[in-house]
Amino acid sequence: MRAENYQARHQPPSHEYELNFGPNHPGIEGNYALKVRLHGDIVTHAKADGGYLHRGFEKLMEQRLWIQNIALVPRICVPDPAPMELAYSTAVETLCGLDIPVRAQWLRVLQMELSRIAAHLFTFGGHAATTGMYNTMFWGVSDRDLVLDLFEELTGGRVYHIYNIPGGVRRDVTEGFLGRVAQFLDYLESRLPDYDNLFFTNQVFVTRAKSVGVLSPQQALELGVTGPNLRACGLAFDVRRDDPYLVYDQLEFDIPVEQAGDAWARTLVRRAELKESIRILRQVIERLPGIPGPIRAPIPNPLAWNVPAGEYYARVESSKGELSWYVVSNGGAKPWRTHIRGPSAMHAVQVLETLATGARLEDVAQIMFSLDACPPEVDR
Amino acid sequence: MNTEVSTDLVCPDVYQWLCHLLKEIDGITHPPRHARRQRLDVKAEALPALLALLQGKGSFVHLSAISAVDWPDDGEFELVYHVTSYELKVTVSAHIRIPRAPGRYLSIYDIYKPAGFFERDIFEMYGIYFEGSPWMEKFILTEWDGPPPMRKEFDSEGWVNDHFDWQDYHPDWLKDLEAQGGGIAIRSEEQRFSRKSKDEG
Repeated sequence: MRAENYQARHQPPSHEYELNFGPNHPGIEGNYALKVRLHGDIVTHAKADGGYLHRGFEKLMEQRLWIQNIALVPRICVPDPAPMELAYSTAVETLCGLDIPVRAQWLRVLQMELSRIAAHLFTFGGHAATTGMYNTMFWGVSDRDLVLDLFEELTGGRVYHIYNIPGGVRRDVTEGFLGRVAQFLDYLESRLPDYDNLFFTNQVFVTRAKSVGVLSPQQALELGVTGPNLRACGLAFDVRRDDPYLVYDQLEFDIPVEQAGDAWARTLVRRAELKESIRILRQVIERLPGIPGPIRAPIPNPLAWNVPAGEYYARVESSKGELSWYVVSNGGAKPWRTHIRGPSAMHAVQVLETLATGARLEDVAQIMFSLDACPPEVDR
Repeated sequence: MNTEVSTDLVCPDVYQWLCHLLKEIDGITHPPRHARRQRLDVKAEALPALLALLQGKGSFVHLSAISAVDWPDDGEFELVYHVTSYELKVTVSAHIRIPRAPGRYLSIYDIYKPAGFFERDIFEMYGIYFEGSPWMEKFILTEWDGPPPMRKEFDSEGWVNDHFDWQDYHPDWLKDLEAQGGGIAIRSEEQRFSRKSKDEG
């Protein structure tokens, strides 16, 4: 917000003062800001201030061909771009009535779960850094890099894969790739006790995170909380289980739940999800070689592709929660309307404002990171 | 739109159950489709009562999103309310149409709290005013004083041409190349945005 557009709140004289928390602050995720009103170090009022990352994706997508948008969609959320591709592709495929080859669905699960692991490692790093524990951040980022290496081999792109296209995926696995994924999974699993010692059960962190930013299950449902944040309140809802897509209904995995609803519980849920993702990926590695078939359904000439008129609401479970994509076609060569519902649209605005109010200033950053909020999902 | 009820139903009776529930409210058509995605076409005045019913009796506690769609040829905005029931594992999309002018509708913030975010977003991007919403203010487009940008008549390229100057990119290292007949590979007439100054336009 430019200075000339800032309007101070007119309040009676008091000991309270306003503080701009962000957009340049080590405790804020991405370019995002909070205006907090403080009494001592207690936050009495918090107001989210977004818009620093607005790039007008929804408008841009209306001006591009259905296939061109594939290059655009992963750029909405940097830490976890893969579910964006999947949600958009699913919507377009449903509108066209395309059946996706089974092998492509397994490859998509492979991409989704690797992306979930990468996103969680990134989040742990950021979250640890808000409590001054930079080692975990270095570890998390360097282990995430190993996933990016795998992505580079599978898709050609490290961060933005542009791997899912309507109809299937762009490439099959290379020779020996699944072995390298298995190696990485073994390595990550062997690292988890170290992570536990360093971060998850470290008393420095546990004492700092317990009872901070507590959400009750009732509050969570009212505020539209989804994903790990909802599961940390004891509610085991997961789009992969409740509204199954791809081949998740053929995979064995648990939905980790914690009861406390505080910052520590949210972190533990993500820690447990790492293990579940490893479990899912091991099943993929085991079964993928036995699944024959093409990796793409035939699609019309993508440069002259009129998607039949209709609308569809596609939902997937990203690492942050329920990611939905509402796509409307009027039968033309470009989408008539696309609407992205990122999970952080709830977490970074209403939920963050609610939880920050009444908290101490030093806990605000930790609350935001424990919610795993991704500001570009708010701004789009 | 799929007009047949799919066979892989998660909750086979959800369609009948919804039909039964919706008898209480007039002005709703309910075409059958895939069991996990139900569509309701609702008269605008019946929507708040419908959502209150779905949330209260119907276990649809989660407002997933509110989407706005602009239909300038019909002179209407379409508002789509996606609500989810965790128990039934069903998402219902309730569609209403409101006239483009004056573009006002009722807020459902008192029924679903997350509506506050989506209504403010639609207010900024489409200029639809939601009466009763506590947040009818700018959030993302704080610095924006143009028309609501997501409306179909808003032309991004035209706006750029009207409000910004194009700059020629001729750094010293490029001048040498241009003197030898080289330079930027795309000819100026082929560029998507032509190098037009404000005075020419």
